[in-house]
Amino acid sequence: MLVLSRKVGESVVIGDEVTVTILEVRGDIVRVGIDAPRSVAVHRAELLEQLETSNREAASPSEDAVASLSEALKQRPE
Amino acid sequence: MTATMTDLPVIDLVHPLPGFPDQRRFALVQLDEDGVLCQLRSLDDPDLRFLVMPPVAFFPEYAPEVGDDVVADLQIDSAEDVIVLLVLNAGESLTTTTANLMAPVLINTATMRASQVILDDPTLSIAAPLVA
Repeated sequence: MLVLSRKVGESVVIGDEVTVTILEVRGDIVRVGIDAPRSVAVHRAELLEQLETSNREAASPSEDAVASLSEALKQRPE
Repeated sequence: MTATMTDLPVIDLVHPLPGFPDQRRFALVQLDEDGVLCQLRSLDDPDLRFLVMPPVAFFPEYAPEVGDDVVADLQIDSAEDVIVLLVLNAGESLTTTTANLMAPVLINTATMRASQVILDDPTLSIAAPLVA
């Protein structure tokens, strides 16, 4: 991992199109501005981890679970 | 986004589902006559499938807004070509079954390109109960 020290207002350029700027440091919170083309997806890491976990939990439910959910959906009040 | 629900034999994920980097081709299959419960089945791994549903039955107000990047990725010309699906986490009953509102799967039925889109809206739950 490359480690750099930056001050507020300073930036790091990644490749040709991505610029990360330190906007504010207050206590243990660092506000970061990211300037990237729309084709580059920028997500908070914990959000992606949450989604991975959720997808893994959702994957390949048992036949029983599918059958009981299917039955419950049929019987739900309109 | 109001394309009619239908079976789709081959869908290409332009980005893999987070957690499943190797599966890109799926089929959409309806599991009931109403098109409420459906599954996305991997064409590469027969054991992998996800239960999904269109939001209308349980989340009629749900209307995700997506950015130009998604429109470009899926090559969307018309919102009417797009099917929105919520990934379900099946519980024992409706009350313990949750839907992922934060990251719906969008399918462009005109191009068969799809992706799971992370919406930039902190009010959307990743595990919303189907019934309160």
